[in-house]
Amino acid sequence: MPYEPTIVGFLCNWCTYAGADLAGTSRIQYPPNMRPIRVMCSGAVDSAYILRALLEGVDGVLIGGCHPGDCHYVSGNYKTRRRIVLFNAIMRSLGLDDGRVWLRWISAAEGKKFADTITQMTEELRRKGPSPFKALWEV
Amino acid sequence: MAKSGILKVENRNPEQTLRQVYAWWLREEKVSALLVPAVSSTGVFSPALISTPEKVADTAPLLPAMTVNSASIIAEIAPNPVEEGVKVAVVLRPCELRAVVELVKLKQVALDNLVLVGIDCPGTYRASDFAEISHGDSDFNNRFVRNQDGYLNEERFRSACQNCEFPTPLVSDLTFGFLGIDPEQELIVVANTAKGEALLEGLELKIIEGTPASRERFLEKFCQARKEKAAQRIAEFDKVGLGPENLMRYFARCLNCHNCMHVCPVCYCRECFFESEALARELDEQVRLSRHKGITRMPAGTMLFHLTRMNHMMTSCVQCGICEDSCPVQIGLSVLFKKVSRAAQEEFGYLSGRSLEEPLPLTTFREDEFRTIGED
Repeated sequence: MPYEPTIVGFLCNWCTYAGADLAGTSRIQYPPNMRPIRVMCSGAVDSAYILRALLEGVDGVLIGGCHPGDCHYVSGNYKTRRRIVLFNAIMRSLGLDDGRVWLRWISAAEGKKFADTITQMTEELRRKGPSPFKALWEV
Repeated sequence: MAKSGILKVENRNPEQTLRQVYAWWLREEKVSALLVPAVSSTGVFSPALISTPEKVADTAPLLPAMTVNSASIIAEIAPNPVEEGVKVAVVLRPCELRAVVELVKLKQVALDNLVLVGIDCPGTYRASDFAEISHGDSDFNNRFVRNQDGYLNEERFRSACQNCEFPTPLVSDLTFGFLGIDPEQELIVVANTAKGEALLEGLELKIIEGTPASRERFLEKFCQARKEKAAQRIAEFDKVGLGPENLMRYFARCLNCHNCMHVCPVCYCRECFFESEALARELDEQVRLSRHKGITRMPAGTMLFHLTRMNHMMTSCVQCGICEDSCPVQIGLSVLFKKVSRAAQEEFGYLSGRSLEEPLPLTTFREDEFRTIGED
């Protein structure tokens, strides 16, 4: 079977999840590679969730939140942004690929952007190939 | 404004001079107790809480051995303010002070009843090594602070100490210094706050302006050499530890005992995610997990533990290396954490333990920062 990337998406309830919904109700086609997990805020996505997905062998993790300034909880997404900066810095300093975790701001009105993001990410992960963690038995 | 003075050392015995200061603080009731390194008659090196001047003989103010990061003890005993009359001077190394600063910001330590007393530290031994090196010689500590040329090449120092560029306290109420001066003759004392000054009131000191030139020169050279050493150690780590496979190999011996977390001064959660039921899986789930890869290492979750722990506490890591000392399988955590914590903190222009005012990177944000993150 040819390699198809698996993406776990942590989607904020108020923006990106609704954006995904809009993509669906607008019948916009996009690759079926992403498994959505609805979270109340992108700021609720702990690094443990991202790392658990990566170590267990998914090829990419998408975190979708409201645009800066639009957070339903005022500042959750600004905190997400800092956490991702930290996450990336740690990944890089350990020589791990920081390009498999994407943070994107997608509003409830951006069904098209949601579909485009999934398409882009799927293509990018196809190019990258399977996650190296897949071949390692540590989790 | 810091107030600096020279404390005259009697009988070429700086350790005894410090003991006398501590005894005097207790006699004058300037403090109710002191937390200070001590050596018991049974040969145990440990911080001790001393509350009577008669017991100062058991303290070892210049002990170059480290068994614990005392910040952990302080978080244990001083999480909240207590009645005003209780005042405890805690005598700490620079890395311990830095951890206390982080714990204050994490709301785990209340400074109300504490006076932070810092002391120079060019490096420490593990307790077992120290026992072997010192042979129970009561004058060892004095010789140790006198022979300052040997510090940079001392390969028996704990490995975190060999890479440490913070030999002097960054934040303290009062600091005792011996580096770059002649501790057989004198010690330098710096009061940074009113609390610190109160401890010096009535003590015979020669007031000086600024830092003695010899001390400045010593520290500059010392810190530079240590930075180079750290860079060299990190380069060595990079050769063997970078990338998914190497990293797994680096942690291959991990027993999942969580000692590194338990002894970490800044890993402060009362209930750790990794010791909760959150990751418990029954057999059917374990099998499902195994099927993702065909084979999974048991116990599951060792890498998840280490990588997540880094995300949780790297912005506050003070690189004390007590995690490495506690590791039963000798994983080289101190150089790894040195590298990763530095990368993490630099991202936010932060340095753990540098200031009580500087907010923790993950508790603050600016709207106009990291604009490219989250955009295509």
